[in-house]
Amino acid sequence: MSPIDYAVFLIAAFATISGFYIQGQEYISSMVKGQLVQSSIIALISFILAYYEHSIDLLILGILIAFLRGFLITYFLDKRVPGRMTYVYESNVNVASLLLIDLAFIVVGIFIIYSIVFTSADLVTKFGPSSILVFPLSLFFQGLFLIGSRRSTFSQIIGYIEEENSLVLFALFLVPVPIIIEASVFLDVLALVVISSILVIEKFRHYPMEELRG
Amino acid sequence: MDPIPLIIIILPGLANIFYRVNIKLAGAVSASLTVALSLFLYTQLPLTGLFYIDRITWVFLVMVSSVYLLSTLYSWEYVNSIRNRGISQNNYYLLLNFFTASMFFSLVMNNYGFMWVGIEATTISSALLLVTEKSDVSLEATWRYIILVSAGVTFAFISVILIYYHFGTLDVYTILHSGGTASVVIKIAVAVALVGFGTKVGVFPVHTWLPDAHSEAPSPVSAMFSGVLLPVALYVLYRIYEISPFPQLYTWFAVISIAAASLFLAYQRKYKRMFAYSTMENMNLALFGFALGGAGVIGALLLLVSHSFGKAGAFYSSGNILKSSEKRDIAQIKGIWKGMPYTSSSLLLSSLAVTGTPPFGTFVGEFIILYAAVVTHAFLQFGIVLFFLMAAFISVNYNITGMIFRGSSDLKEPGKTMPIISLISSIIPLIIGVVIIGGFFNVLV
Repeated sequence: MSPIDYAVFLIAAFATISGFYIQGQEYISSMVKGQLVQSSIIALISFILAYYEHSIDLLILGILIAFLRGFLITYFLDKRVPGRMTYVYESNVNVASLLLIDLAFIVVGIFIIYSIVFTSADLVTKFGPSSILVFPLSLFFQGLFLIGSRRSTFSQIIGYIEEENSLVLFALFLVPVPIIIEASVFLDVLALVVISSILVIEKFRHYPMEELRG
Repeated sequence: MDPIPLIIIILPGLANIFYRVNIKLAGAVSASLTVALSLFLYTQLPLTGLFYIDRITWVFLVMVSSVYLLSTLYSWEYVNSIRNRGISQNNYYLLLNFFTASMFFSLVMNNYGFMWVGIEATTISSALLLVTEKSDVSLEATWRYIILVSAGVTFAFISVILIYYHFGTLDVYTILHSGGTASVVIKIAVAVALVGFGTKVGVFPVHTWLPDAHSEAPSPVSAMFSGVLLPVALYVLYRIYEISPFPQLYTWFAVISIAAASLFLAYQRKYKRMFAYSTMENMNLALFGFALGGAGVIGALLLLVSHSFGKAGAFYSSGNILKSSEKRDIAQIKGIWKGMPYTSSSLLLSSLAVTGTPPFGTFVGEFIILYAAVVTHAFLQFGIVLFFLMAAFISVNYNITGMIFRGSSDLKEPGKTMPIISLISSIIPLIIGVVIIGGFFNVLV
């Protein structure tokens, strides 16, 4: 592997670490900041790849990630965080145990994918064998787990953005899809976050309801 | 490039220009035009290029435009009478038009990536429609719809990436006419698509948003969800399945989902939730037909067309009852046949239609799918499906006949156009069935 490959591996690892950071937070504003860092890391990877591959598409992709995910989505979420401290703190969350379960979930999920799916599918990434895909996959599972383990609308939106970030990373390492598609996906996700942020005002937390049982 | 598909996509959006003038009327005019254009499109088939439209796509286009027209007309009275509105009347029609445009987009695009974008856009445009009748429950149902469907459909994008990785293109026509592939990567893509798009189709166990969203949405929107949104997602899933069929996986998931839906149906206490589970059952039966291939595809198409009108009729009828009684429980509705003759008729006809009673079109569709199961030697699946179809038939019709004929009530029809549209929508599956059984099947297919 070239030094640049090592650098991308290292930066991608930071994307996974940012996922753990988000999972470990109880304050919404910290989670939003974690999402900003994560999106910026992915934008950075896109810029590095754009530089070494002389790809305008990857450069545009990096700009899109930085602007739409890093700036606009963070802006929308940040604007919706209520001013009063009691609202931004997600109570009844045992962060330590959630982190452990999250880790177990990721390890089991990735073990299954690598031992069953990837052994028969001959996936070749830009960085050789499929080992680098462990980073987007772990991010994907972290996003799913965040959605499943938290009750607040904010946390679940951030979980969804994490999932989307993981797909960008997955495509970056495997094969970047045409920029027109990627741009449409980004706009879709942005619109969904805007719609969700409208609902945040009306409904901050989610609990089982008798009317929706069965 | 043929301009008609483009016009079909744009027309609902164009109606939104009249937002401040008369968006209701503009929506109805645009819906009528899309029906006419969709029907006319048959003479231009097949279309390739920017759009990919064959006979299968055409069936879906006609279905979407027709239910869009019925729902728009039904909404006139229904939305007008809502007291605690979460969104304004004009915003309701605006979103309904965008929602329909995004479904048209998903159907006609000749690109798997854009199909995914279209499906995601249907979630965005329809989410706020769920809070038209604002309550704490509808807000919760809306949120579940957004987060579960979006998180699920994200899986499907992995399929899109894998398809692009293998073929180097996302062009639907090119991929489907590339001569097939036995690649493991594509098998994985097809399998992942079942989880991803399956979330929107209502495949067990990723169906959980479905009963909540259907029961809390205003009835014309429930009709659009059940009648056309889920079939559109199924269409996209089928287009991916066609690349490299994986019948064992798809048929078994469909069979398990039918069984689950049938079991859920047995203990439902609310009529709109009951119809939602009936939709899950019908969608998975159509998926079963598509997965079997051959005659199963024809059966699935017939089932979907008849079901779209039948289920729309069922939800319109439910809307009439809800408006009149303000009650959602099956047990609280009794003997409506005296005071609500149109609604009773439409409710009975539509419940018979969605449970596949002869001679409705759904029956013909189900019969052909089961025939395809026998022909392909899927005997075990055939037996399981047949058993659970009968169980679902009993569950739905027992409750509905009870609501109509058992006891008495002083409920009255809620308006003039709502009951008539319910009845029209419920009669269409009967006409389809009678026409096909009457010998026009070969002409149509």
